[in-house]
Amino acid sequence: MKVEIYDALMRCQASRRDVLRGTASAAALLGVSSVMGGIPGMAMAADDLRAQILKIPGVGKGAPTDADWQKVGELCLEPTKANVAAGEFAGVELTFMGLNNQNLHNFLFRGFLKPWEAYTGAKINWIDLAQADYNARLQQSIATGTVDFDIIEMGAPFEGDTAGRGLLDEMPDWVAKQIEADDLVDYLKAPVGTWEGKTYRVTIDGDCHTFAYRKDYFGEGSISGRSEPPKTWQEVNEVSKALIGKTDPLTGLPAYGYLDPLKGWGGFGFYFVENRATAYAKYPGDPAWLFDPENMKPLVNNPAWVQAIQDVMDLIAAKAYPSDQINADPGTTAFSQFLAGTGSMLMWWGDVGSSARTSDTSVVGDVVGFGINRGSSRVYNRKSGQWEEKYNEAPNMAYIGWGIYVTKRVSGDEKKRKAAWSAAAHLGGKDISLWTSAYPSGFQPYRQSHFNYDEWQAAGYDRAYIEEYLGSNANSYNHPNAAIEPRIPGIFQYYSVAEDELAKGFAGQYKSAQETADAIAAAWEKITDQIGRESQLKLYRASLGL
Amino acid sequence: MTTIERDLLHTVEADSISAGRHFWGRAALWLSTLWLAASFVLQAAYVSGWITFGFENWRPVLYAYVLWAIVLCVTRVVLYGEAGKKALFVLPAALFVVAMVVFPLLFALWVGFSDWNLASLTGRKFNGLDNLRRMLSDPFYANALVNMVLYSLAIAVEYAIAFGLALLLSQDIAARKFWRVTFLVPLMLSPVAVSWMVGKSMLETRFGPIARLARWLGWENPSFFGDPLTARLSIMIMDAWTFIPFMMIMLLAGLQALNREVLEAAEVDGATKWQRFWQVIFPLMLPVSVTAVMIRVIFKLKLADIIITVTAGGPGGATDSVTSFIYREYRDRSNVGYGTLLAIIYLIIIVIGMTMLLKVSDRIVRRMTGRL
Repeated sequence: MKVEIYDALMRCQASRRDVLRGTASAAALLGVSSVMGGIPGMAMAADDLRAQILKIPGVGKGAPTDADWQKVGELCLEPTKANVAAGEFAGVELTFMGLNNQNLHNFLFRGFLKPWEAYTGAKINWIDLAQADYNARLQQSIATGTVDFDIIEMGAPFEGDTAGRGLLDEMPDWVAKQIEADDLVDYLKAPVGTWEGKTYRVTIDGDCHTFAYRKDYFGEGSISGRSEPPKTWQEVNEVSKALIGKTDPLTGLPAYGYLDPLKGWGGFGFYFVENRATAYAKYPGDPAWLFDPENMKPLVNNPAWVQAIQDVMDLIAAKAYPSDQINADPGTTAFSQFLAGTGSMLMWWGDVGSSARTSDTSVVGDVVGFGINRGSSRVYNRKSGQWEEKYNEAPNMAYIGWGIYVTKRVSGDEKKRKAAWSAAAHLGGKDISLWTSAYPSGFQPYRQSHFNYDEWQAAGYDRAYIEEYLGSNANSYNHPNAAIEPRIPGIFQYYSVAEDELAKGFAGQYKSAQETADAIAAAWEKITDQIGRESQLKLYRASLGL
Repeated sequence: MTTIERDLLHTVEADSISAGRHFWGRAALWLSTLWLAASFVLQAAYVSGWITFGFENWRPVLYAYVLWAIVLCVTRVVLYGEAGKKALFVLPAALFVVAMVVFPLLFALWVGFSDWNLASLTGRKFNGLDNLRRMLSDPFYANALVNMVLYSLAIAVEYAIAFGLALLLSQDIAARKFWRVTFLVPLMLSPVAVSWMVGKSMLETRFGPIARLARWLGWENPSFFGDPLTARLSIMIMDAWTFIPFMMIMLLAGLQALNREVLEAAEVDGATKWQRFWQVIFPLMLPVSVTAVMIRVIFKLKLADIIITVTAGGPGGATDSVTSFIYREYRDRSNVGYGTLLAIIYLIIIVIGMTMLLKVSDRIVRRMTGRL
């Protein structure tokens, strides 16, 4: 169905459901079998809906607003209407806890769920948290028995803390059908989102860090002197050093190479050292790269990790970073630096890709390219204790994506429970997810259907750009040597203390990268002992599939 | 109407308390006390795993405390008549302080000597002096304490600036009221807002106006948080900018309260401006100065918000404060037991330090004002 026809029908007060019903009826009246005619008709309607929402507000037409989010939410209500009657949840109040990063996440959810609230009659109260406050708020709620939210936006790494303690409500089967869970990319299917065989999660995001680079820094006659972007972390450092003293072709300001965030970010900053380390430490066929699965001893001070830390220290010593880099956290490197035209290489979640073209603050939309995490010309085999001179790459599935979970608070009230899961399913719907993948949302593609490049091209994206951007995600998700984070309790405690020690190392307070890594390892040992080595080991092995 | 003998408060009526009233008053008090003690012991035993039954949470114990407090107040009157009423002027406030200050402190002590990581399935475990031992060998805590000394020393400079501004604003200058309000504005701003406006925007190295000015002045690559010394100074300046107005307004109030006759007498005696300041105004202002500095020290020792927002304690802990370190230990690492112990020790250090400071400053004031 064409957009303009749809709009005309809307003006005539026809709901989309009526329209679809009319389409199907018309097909039936024409004597077309459901197999041969009905489904293509429906599929065509769905395709048109997807095309329509991708035009809100339109690529290159500025950052979407609350009105756009509400419009998308309204258009994607059909799956909800199939399972919930109008006004069915009248009188139900739900509390939703999520993030407010970059005015995204909960801000989008509010817009998406406004039409859902109007249709179902439910009311949602919001708890907005800054990224850095999230872990503490969640842990305190769990530990003090004061879980005061019915729905939570949560990353898979916290499943050990929540599902492992019986705080979550099991997802009903109808939700899996409504969100078309089979469409998820493989690495986001079970065991992710499940605990002891039960499913608890509506996935709304797929996480991996991908490599973003400035194309105008590479190619014939470019300031880097290289025809192609670096393929390995060794080359990344070479380029970063070679760019010292040169001028950025876009901004006319000093040129810089790779942007390592050198400041902590409530634990999340550790992912960025991991990006370098996985290429050295994630040996093909061996799932363990953070802890030894035999005894939970940290691997963070083995030669592979030390090399990753040394790489950063080398760039600090060479003065290859912007002057205040020691005070730059990951948010700064992505949004204040890279998208604003400072630096030429960055590792980040996929939303940098969509923000590069659609965010008002981005100036690099026309010159940005993407790829998977950089590799290494050698890899460390922890079992043999030897470096092996062979190319290795290991995309970092940092955070494993956000999901929507429902807590046990609603389990005793079937109406409330259904309302909570319906809200979660609305946010994790197949169509709405296409929009969140395409526009600034804080989320990146996570379904097989998101990699249909034709849809993106039709929305106004440059085909080559989108193939590169989406391809970097797809190639990371499907990589045979992907580094997947363990879902163990307190994982961010390990990351947080590592950030403190790294900050000291980067500031030159430790004599070497090895000493820095040893300090991290010692701190990790204390955390493991405090939380309980046996239980951590058991959960760690389970998360590795051992 | 009679008055009670030797009663300095001049109680006008001595109720005759009947034996029955006395009995029921005592009974109510004992019953409520027993209920409070029993519910506390029961819940403590249940939480400790010694018994298998108890309340779902501690709320019933709180209710028992509230009831006991009410009964205690009422029985003062029931048992002692009008004399008991006098206790009611103080008792509710005292019970409130017990609930809101004394109990949390005792609870914090209990938590501080525990191994309690929120991610641990085993919950809280008593671990004796382990947290204390860990603290003594914790380089992050020691570093933060040293930083706090440095931050506190900066108060001397802040005080000098504040005094200068106060002297300026006490003069007959044009638009004096406007300047007074203008100088107070930073104090009204939230430190987090200051962090973003100044630390993250104005000091932003590429586009920030201060960075541009620094470049214009010849600093090729301005970096306000890049090395330990500059970062520490930047934090000190931002914090000072926020709180100098506080000291300034206190000192200004002190200056305005000075006896004009003394100042005029000094002028008539031929004292120079400097002599008038150093030998008359400054000594007379010492009591106000000590108060302003003491309160400022207390504010400074709580410094955290600007650090957390702007530097997260970096580079390498150079700007870390004790509070920002405890914040990370408690919030990011859910290490409740250790974090609480650090806070308690810091409190003890502050109490001892402030007491000593008060003693020393009192001696200085007395010496300078000729009372010693």
